[in-house]
Amino acid sequence: METYTVNITGEISEYQQRDEAIAAFAKLFSISPAQAEKTFEKAPIAIKKNVDLETADKFKEALIGIGVECIAIASSRAEDLAATQASVYSAEPDVSVQNNTSEPDALAATPMQEDEFKGFEFTIEGDPDYGFVTVQLPADKTIKVEASAMATMDTNLNMKTKFKGGIGRMMTGESLFINEFTAEGGSGEIGIAPGAPGDLSHQYLDNQTIFLQNSAFVACSEDVIVETKWQGLTKGFFSGESLFLIRCSGVGDLWFNTYGAIIEIDVTEDYVVDTGNIVGFTEGLDYKITKVGGYKSLFFSGEGFVCRFSGQGKVWIQTRGVDALVGWAHWFRPVKTNNS
Amino acid sequence: MQIEFVHQPGNTAAKVTLAQGETCTAESGAMIAMSGNMDITTTTHKKGSAGVLKALKRKLAGESLFLNHFEPLNGGGEVWLGTALSGDMFAMDLDNENLIVQGSSFLACEDTIDVDMGWQGFKSIFSGESVFWVNLKGSGKVIVSSFGAIYPVEVDGEYIVDSGHIVAFNETLDFSITKAGSSWIQSILGGEGMVCKFSGKGTVWCQSHNPRSFGNAMASSLRERRA
Repeated sequence: METYTVNITGEISEYQQRDEAIAAFAKLFSISPAQAEKTFEKAPIAIKKNVDLETADKFKEALIGIGVECIAIASSRAEDLAATQASVYSAEPDVSVQNNTSEPDALAATPMQEDEFKGFEFTIEGDPDYGFVTVQLPADKTIKVEASAMATMDTNLNMKTKFKGGIGRMMTGESLFINEFTAEGGSGEIGIAPGAPGDLSHQYLDNQTIFLQNSAFVACSEDVIVETKWQGLTKGFFSGESLFLIRCSGVGDLWFNTYGAIIEIDVTEDYVVDTGNIVGFTEGLDYKITKVGGYKSLFFSGEGFVCRFSGQGKVWIQTRGVDALVGWAHWFRPVKTNNS
Repeated sequence: MQIEFVHQPGNTAAKVTLAQGETCTAESGAMIAMSGNMDITTTTHKKGSAGVLKALKRKLAGESLFLNHFEPLNGGGEVWLGTALSGDMFAMDLDNENLIVQGSSFLACEDTIDVDMGWQGFKSIFSGESVFWVNLKGSGKVIVSSFGAIYPVEVDGEYIVDSGHIVAFNETLDFSITKAGSSWIQSILGGEGMVCKFSGKGTVWCQSHNPRSFGNAMASSLRERRA
């Protein structure tokens, strides 16, 4: 079946103000006005690739509705066009910024970042309370998924269980296995739902490295390398958290989840995060486990040990902690009687 | 002190931005992240007054009576606050008035507010329930959290609220403990037991879910603990 690519020309309808059009465009795709501005600067650019005619028309209609000029062309032709623009795409891979606060929107369900990054097409629904992701796997492509996180899939997906990360992964408390799903004989989709209800976030790794707290890993594309990293005894020992972080590096999609909603923090100097609320962080940040305040605070503040990040990078935190819930539930446990 | 809520209503977190010289007082354990220049002091009630033993005497199951005071050093800073249970939050400005808040719903306030943990209004009657109440006095901003959604009920006359669903109420209201049904047997069999009857004029903030009921629902699946 012929597929189509929707391109914006960078022109604004003469009946619309540029600022207004960009603001509307940003809203439509759930991106910040600054990102929208950047996208426009790079125009002509493809904003939706390989969709059927109906979807392409829908996008076209929505774009024209907000006064943004666009064209939809058959993908076979668009490829020639894309070849000449390849340098534009790869030159600025950091256009996408996480947008967790956005309301689900008819079109925003498929954010544009996936196209610019050439990762798998996917939709995240239900976030921030009950996030789950549906990934469209092109034919013969493979996705790595945390064991037991697969919820639904097409019948042509074949699952292989692989022993990843060795003994280290066993010790993180994480399941030892990552399952690999391959779309055989055609494309297919897979629905992935993490264990804890909460938010789901996507990052496209372009030779970057992200460290994830042990239970945050959800899925990644085949070329992302997942390994465990020894934190060093003191770092993990006092934190009361598990000793391992998962190290994700390489090129490709990475999805991770949280219990509670995700907040992304740009660290420029120092930032302190409760150990139970760390989800992940980018490589290059230095971190150490410390106490907060004086010794009185150590025992009575309820914070115990915290993780102090320094340097430049991003830290993702979660608004809830499984440990905190377990701590709360402790008081409801039945009391053991001695005469039994 | 500026307050911003994100991811309402299910996974709410509060971002508190403090200018230099401002102090925010929060329930112990509420901090999820903060700027590196934030200084924490832990006390039992208002900053500057001591008395750890006093607090321990009052310590009740599941709740610690310690407060953390956050103060940015060298410039401004921010603190993110969260709760153990999922739910909503709301902020309000007190103008030289009293707000009674259920202990586990108190999240944070400006340091111009006096946090009185010794409020005994319900204590004798609710004995056996591990609920304590905080009396917030003075002028300034306060943040209150809930398990589930929060909804205000404007009371003008009389109104009945189950004790587990009370988040906070104006102290202008009179309250009494009463039975939910027409007879005690009915009330106890009906699972409602004692309820709180408010009278007068004021607002009661209620939470959609009762943490105690949630805890009890889980209890049978949890492993036994030592006393």
